[in-house]
Amino acid sequence: MKALMLVAALIGAAGIVLLAGMVVGIVPSNTVRLIEGYMPVQVIAELTLFVAGFTGLSYMMAAMGMVFPRFWQGILFWAFILLYLKFRIYPPIPFSVRAMYGTVSLVAIFMWVSANEEDWNKFKQPIMNVLDAKTGGKRLLRYAYLVILPILIGGFSYNSMVPKSEEPIELRTVHPAPPASTKVHGKTYTLQTSQNPYRTNLEGKYDQDYSNAMTVEQGMGRLMKPNANPWDKDAQGYLKYVREGGEIFYQNCHFCHGDNLNGRGLHAFAFNPIPANFTDPGTIAQLQETFIFWRVSKGGIGLPNEGFPWASVMPPWEQHLTVDEIWKVVLFEYWHTGYYPRTWD
Amino acid sequence: MGRVAGKKLFSIMALCAMVGLLLLPIAVSLPSLAMGADAPDAVKKDGEAKVEKGRDVYYKTEGIAIGAPAPKTVDGPRDYPRYNFESRVLLWFANQQHLYYGSFVLAVPIFCMVIEFMGVVTKDKAMAKRYDQLAYDFIKISLTAYSLTAILGGILIFTFLTLYPAFFGYLSGIFRPVMHIYALMFVAESGTLYIYYYGWDKMKEGFLKWIHLSMSVILNVIGTLLMFLANSWIGFMMSPAGVDEQGRFLGNIWHVIHTALWNPLNVHRILGNMAFGGGVVAAYAAYKFLASKTDEDRAHYDWMGYIAMALGVAFLIPLPFAGYWLMREVYAYRQQMGITLMGGLLAWLFIIQATMIGILFLSTNYYLWQALGRMRGAEKYQRYIKYLVFVLCCGYLVFITPHTIVMTPAELKAMGGQQHPVLGNYGVMSAKNGGINVIITTTILSFVWYMRGNKVSTVSWSKFGNIFMGIFFGCAYVNIIWLAIYGYYIPANVRVGLSVPQVATTLSCLFFMFALNTAMMKGAKQMGAIEWGKISVRSQYALIMLATAFTWMMGLMGYIRSSVRLFWHVNEIMRDNSPWAYTHTVGFAANMISFNVLFFWVSILFVFWLGSLGLKKAPVEAKAGVPGAAPQPAGGH
Repeated sequence: MKALMLVAALIGAAGIVLLAGMVVGIVPSNTVRLIEGYMPVQVIAELTLFVAGFTGLSYMMAAMGMVFPRFWQGILFWAFILLYLKFRIYPPIPFSVRAMYGTVSLVAIFMWVSANEEDWNKFKQPIMNVLDAKTGGKRLLRYAYLVILPILIGGFSYNSMVPKSEEPIELRTVHPAPPASTKVHGKTYTLQTSQNPYRTNLEGKYDQDYSNAMTVEQGMGRLMKPNANPWDKDAQGYLKYVREGGEIFYQNCHFCHGDNLNGRGLHAFAFNPIPANFTDPGTIAQLQETFIFWRVSKGGIGLPNEGFPWASVMPPWEQHLTVDEIWKVVLFEYWHTGYYPRTWD
Repeated sequence: MGRVAGKKLFSIMALCAMVGLLLLPIAVSLPSLAMGADAPDAVKKDGEAKVEKGRDVYYKTEGIAIGAPAPKTVDGPRDYPRYNFESRVLLWFANQQHLYYGSFVLAVPIFCMVIEFMGVVTKDKAMAKRYDQLAYDFIKISLTAYSLTAILGGILIFTFLTLYPAFFGYLSGIFRPVMHIYALMFVAESGTLYIYYYGWDKMKEGFLKWIHLSMSVILNVIGTLLMFLANSWIGFMMSPAGVDEQGRFLGNIWHVIHTALWNPLNVHRILGNMAFGGGVVAAYAAYKFLASKTDEDRAHYDWMGYIAMALGVAFLIPLPFAGYWLMREVYAYRQQMGITLMGGLLAWLFIIQATMIGILFLSTNYYLWQALGRMRGAEKYQRYIKYLVFVLCCGYLVFITPHTIVMTPAELKAMGGQQHPVLGNYGVMSAKNGGINVIITTTILSFVWYMRGNKVSTVSWSKFGNIFMGIFFGCAYVNIIWLAIYGYYIPANVRVGLSVPQVATTLSCLFFMFALNTAMMKGAKQMGAIEWGKISVRSQYALIMLATAFTWMMGLMGYIRSSVRLFWHVNEIMRDNSPWAYTHTVGFAANMISFNVLFFWVSILFVFWLGSLGLKKAPVEAKAGVPGAAPQPAGGH
């Protein structure tokens, strides 16, 4: 048990040193790389390791007769979480989410330190000592708090109320609800029931299982499946349509949406927000193909009211592409990202 | 002997007569139902030329249009008479208050039924008496609330009639027979409730007690049917059926009632009402606990709070699954409605909802950990609580991560796009399913620890049982998290289906682990008694927090469900042409919900106060409810 705790304590100490380096800027945030596609699990795994590490540190210190006060354990753990969120995770997390995470962490720490009477008494003891102020030092501290706390609260209030020159926060609806149907080149498409006419098997019938089996592998690299190369001269049916969609994509779309469909094209950073990243699981992977068909056809100008503030400069591609070309581009986007369009069956 | 048999016979006859009388309103209103079917014949008699056919917008069946089309309203005093105030907000307030009280008075009799039944079947006489007194206390609270529900219902109808006459005229035209049955069943509900309450003392012994218990079953059946009927109206407004595109009634009242969302709404509301009712009663007990001056009172209200919390949480656990089913049906009914709810305009409200759900589970767990403190021998679990906190909070953080992030343009630029590579993954359904299942499984684990807090298993296979239990929970966590990750690599329709094995895993933990734990704890060695009343005051604040979160969340979900119709009174059938056919800002909605919550709690405090007046008048009766040496409650242990 002691050996296990020692290992945990070493991990905890190493973690603290690394994070401290990141906070002061000596150690770059990507020293221990966050790997694309695995980041979400990696972050939770790292936090778990830290908790194990801190448990080990606490255990070892107690074993050496240096009991770390519960009050400071709580305060420092909260500070650790805030610093981790701010300096470890990149790209930076917007303040609104960090505020949510910070509040939850604070509640969690309260639940931990007050889970039983003994712990709660230990935790609040330093606070009670200051309030009771039985020694000169504590009395001084109490007066200091009496002065500092109102100033701090006043400062926060002033800061939140003072008019700021920065742009206001936008609560942008990323996926506005689509209409029930859309009219493109004179034909009406019902979004709930329409299908991509090129998602077909070799017999020319709509077949999502067939096309799903031919999309690229997800994860790092996004590798093509064996015998599923759209750029093979002999490719027929679905793969041929993917190739045609790819050609249209690279002629028209990649300037903004990028070679890898990750929203980082040549012109991407001229826009705010930058174009949609199709490789993110929160975009096309969540939507029906008909939704993409509608958005591509109508562009930013065709966004509904709830798409406020209509922050999209995508052209209405129905003015430049045929219906067939739009369907083929949509087909290519799903193939390239390895995602499957949403269906309801 | 003959006299007893005669009394039994008389009781059965009286019960049958009462059931018959209670069903009479339905029988009386049946002709109204039939009228729907007769009407076409009447139309036919007038001449074939007048018969117009229509196609059901949902069932796609053909029928003869016998109703008037939905009115095309215009903004003005005829269709939208008003005060110098937003009519929608007035209606919102009236509706929400009626729903709060309605939910409470539907849930509490179900608790009474369960607790009274526990009292009847418990062999321990002292315990049976305590259960009986508790059930009586519950129904006493709900009696005043029942009157308020009726009053608020009246206010709601008058608000509809005076501010939205065209819409209410259309709705009542479609639901004419249903509304009549509803009103008559309300009479039946009142009659049963009063007999049930006032007959408590008269029917407290032997066979008559069973008759009394049967009446609680009847009371709850009527109450549930009432709620189903009211649900059919909101189901129709969201997903209309039984009418054609113009909104003309096609003669089949069952189609109008049985819309696409009726059943999911029914299930969700039953569970929600029960959880809410449990929360309110637990808050009542917490308030009484905090105000108690004697150890006896503290012991009684501690126990009452525990029972109410346990009943509420028993229904809270399946609630997210019922909600998931409802959302699935919403998506299946109209994709754009689903996207508006969960990915579009109302998505941020869902993040707030997730936050509230998390608060409910965190409060429950916190209460259970605090409750370990009143058991001697439960100290062995205390040092592991921090790990449960960590697991719970990881699940919670994933569960509340928004898909659409609030950020400044500068933050958006720094992030390099609308999606964050870490948070973006937490923001979608696959991760959230994992998050909530982790939270629920951890809550189950807390319950298991609580149930065995002061006991040591004496069965010969206890070591094996403990190892099995540990492995079972470990595998459950692995399975839930693995499926959440796997969900990113498969088609969306399969991913939606993954929720089934995740839910099955969580429910397996609930049923198998509870059963196994009960078997292991049979004849277990007691390390010490449960010292009712010796619990921290923080636990009682957790109960109050639980109830407040329930109330707030109900208000929020009601608002979300209603506002998803956007600018429709009846979705795609009758357009809302009032000046208020827009969606409120998140901030306004949150303030309005908070006001409704505050009003409800202030008014229910009045109800509690009225209840305490009754208590003062009958001190002898009240004394019977106070536990003596605080025996252990069944169910909890």
